[in-house]
Amino acid sequence: MEKTLTIPEYKADWAEGENGKWGMVIDMDLCTGCQACVAACAMENNISFVGEEDAGYGRTMHWIRIERFWEGTYPEIRMTPYQPILCQQCGHAPCEPVCPVFASVHSQAEQINLQVYNRCVGTRYCANNCPYQVRVFNWRDWPRPAPLENQLNPSVTVRRRGIMEKCTFCIQRIRQAEDVAKSEGREIRDGEVVPACAQACPADAIVFGRLDDPESRVSQLANSPRGKKLLEELGTLPQVTYLLGG
Amino acid sequence: MSEKTFLALFSDVNPAAEAIAQLREMGMKDEQMQVISGIPFTAPILGRPHPRTNVPRMAMGGALVGFLLAMFFTIGTPNLYPVYVGGQPLIPVPPSVIATFELTMLGMLLATFLGVFLDSRFPSYRPMEYVPAISDGKIGVLFRCTEEESSRWMDALQKLGAESVSPVEAVQL
Amino acid sequence: MAVAAKPLPHAHTHATEGPDHRESLMFDPRPRGLMNAWAMEAMHETSWKFWAVAAFLALIVLVFLVGAWAWMIMEGLGLAGVNRPAFWGVFLVNTVFWIGISHAGTFISAILRVLKVEFRRPFTRAAELMTAFGLIQAGFSILMHMGRVWLSYWLLPYPNQRQLWPNFHSPLTWDFLAITTYLLSSLMYLYLPLIPDLAMARDRSSGWRKRLYRILALGFRGTEEEWEHLRKAMTIFAFAIIPVMFSVHTIVSWDFAMATRPGWSSTIFGPYFVIGALHSGMAAVVVVLFFVRRMKHMTYFVRPEHFDALGKLMLVISMAWAYFFFNDYIVQWYGGDKWTRMLLEYHENGPLGWMWMLMLICNVAVPWLLLWNRRVRRTPWLMAIIGILINVGMWLERYVIVPISLTINRMPFTWRQYVPGIEIPLGIGTLALFILLYMLASRLIPLVPIWEVQEGQMVHSLERVGKTYVPVVKELE
Repeated sequence: MEKTLTIPEYKADWAEGENGKWGMVIDMDLCTGCQACVAACAMENNISFVGEEDAGYGRTMHWIRIERFWEGTYPEIRMTPYQPILCQQCGHAPCEPVCPVFASVHSQAEQINLQVYNRCVGTRYCANNCPYQVRVFNWRDWPRPAPLENQLNPSVTVRRRGIMEKCTFCIQRIRQAEDVAKSEGREIRDGEVVPACAQACPADAIVFGRLDDPESRVSQLANSPRGKKLLEELGTLPQVTYLLGG
Repeated sequence: MSEKTFLALFSDVNPAAEAIAQLREMGMKDEQMQVISGIPFTAPILGRPHPRTNVPRMAMGGALVGFLLAMFFTIGTPNLYPVYVGGQPLIPVPPSVIATFELTMLGMLLATFLGVFLDSRFPSYRPMEYVPAISDGKIGVLFRCTEEESSRWMDALQKLGAESVSPVEAVQL
Repeated sequence: MAVAAKPLPHAHTHATEGPDHRESLMFDPRPRGLMNAWAMEAMHETSWKFWAVAAFLALIVLVFLVGAWAWMIMEGLGLAGVNRPAFWGVFLVNTVFWIGISHAGTFISAILRVLKVEFRRPFTRAAELMTAFGLIQAGFSILMHMGRVWLSYWLLPYPNQRQLWPNFHSPLTWDFLAITTYLLSSLMYLYLPLIPDLAMARDRSSGWRKRLYRILALGFRGTEEEWEHLRKAMTIFAFAIIPVMFSVHTIVSWDFAMATRPGWSSTIFGPYFVIGALHSGMAAVVVVLFFVRRMKHMTYFVRPEHFDALGKLMLVISMAWAYFFFNDYIVQWYGGDKWTRMLLEYHENGPLGWMWMLMLICNVAVPWLLLWNRRVRRTPWLMAIIGILINVGMWLERYVIVPISLTINRMPFTWRQYVPGIEIPLGIGTLALFILLYMLASRLIPLVPIWEVQEGQMVHSLERVGKTYVPVVKELE
């Protein structure tokens, strides 16, 4: 009894990887660029709709975005594969140490970068230091058009203006699965946790699971020779692997 | 045998210093005298004992307090609530150096400032012996003596080149 | 020999024997009482024009600073031009700019004091005031920049119900500590040498001024002990505030240099920023002195010789700035990193390439072409224009480093140009507040440290060497 009162008061005290090391694989050869993941992510995580004008000025609030490029000069152009970009959940995340108030911290338990919304004071240093540019900022309190205020996800905090946010690997779903597994006295099964983007992907291009389980689907795909890490040369140790060139 | 305060005013530092030396030869003690001036003169120029100041000691003390505070912040607080960031150690040494430097300097300078206040007994708004001519660059020699003795000192100072020698009352500055 | 503020004995005969030293303040002594009276009169002298300008500035502060800021706090930073990828914009440009301006005060009053450079004497206070007021604007600018400014006190290390302390890994925390240290120490360093002058003002004023100066002068009389404590403290301050000053702008540069970004990740940013700060600060001192000179009697204290000396310093600092700039530039250029190459290309030939060009013209070409000339250096209005140009150049330098460099990152999909919005009126508001504070201060505190000038005139004398007289400075300490 006394133990529960004194220790693991802080999740940070937990042993590294105690609750799994979560990771994602995105198969760029399968991605059709349909943006279903973008929409599903916005619904699941109560992301604001910024409207045309702000979106055009580079203030979109997507936690996952589909990047597309053309190669060559007109008319000899070729499209490159769609590139879904989300927070890479770096092991050595550049965004974390620069926050003066510890709003951007590392979850030792799940090996994820957390963003603590209530702590954020809006210096935006983390976003500058993110080489993947996946952090989005609440530049305003955008209104939520009429019926949409009824579909807010109760498991996710609604953010107000002046706060930085980003992809969390749908931490609310991970935590829920952890709780269910704990109450049933078992480990989390592979495929039990599915983030919104993976759930919505019609091509099954996004696979999520535990990287510390060599049997899991995500581990096996991540070890595929087609696997690449984004901006690997920076040494950020991303948890997301891109598959390309099959 | 009531003691009174007298003020001799000089325009130049050299006669003032001569006068101080003469007064001492004539038997006036250093503690009986005080020099007030509109610009700083060091003790050797005036031929006076070096005033004791605690400001450097205060500064050292403040630096120590700042240093200890910095140690608490950089080494202590991460252990109070461990948060891991960016794959860096819980207590990062190079950034700690920065915080330690700033807080040590801040402690030192705050204490130096405070030291001036404590040593000079600032702020003091009590009436004090003073004439505005001092801030016009005059050098004043304040001395305390009994009324019987006063004429002797006053005459001596007049001869030594004082512009005026007169009793002064404590006034509200 | 007499050590006093008297006309020099041979002042009448010098014409045939050598250069006229009386054009130098230190060889043109006046009785202390007269200098005091001048300083007092300069404070009292106000025309309706002065108050009209002050009222206009106050209106600008009210609308552009208070009003616009309140609106932005209500609406969010969407009113500003910041976006992705330029998460930092003009607010941080202004922060760096004002901190840069604030460096001149310390440079002049601490470094030149430590080195016993005599020409500093009449304008140490004018420069220190700039430091204090510049830092206040820097503080405002960085607060404007924050998304949730009402929670900015969370950066303070204090025991709280969240049980959370600031993150000492973060350059912003270092910045917070450094700017706090610098602001407090420069305010104290402004106040200490001011005490004797406040006592002087107390002795020659009446009414509300008397009450104000009585409180501020703390009962200073000028006893040996008081001077000793004061002088000891000023020596400690002069030596200690120099590394603090260097640390402040170095840490400001680390806000950029610590980031893993092309163009920012540079080991030379520390000294480069410090020199940049001195460049803009020195130039700002010249501009301020030009206006101070227009106050009554101030042509006696602030003379062409001071503009001359500052002009030489500005030229040297401009060369040092160019040296550091080139050092940073060539290493980035030679490195051949893809993103850095694109960034440099964007700096020079992008849509805002004119800023990069103009920066080099203002910071290097203008001072190098003009400041070698003694006649230019001794013409106050020309120096003021050069000072303004250098400040324009230094502001552009920070603009190139912050929002323009942020436009280019390693994810080309996010590249987007930054267009300032409400930052512009807010920036104008800080400038207006700076000028307003300075104007009000010029009527409340003696802008010239009279006792330091008298002390300086006392230690200067002319000594005959051969057929002429040469200046001699006695060391009384």
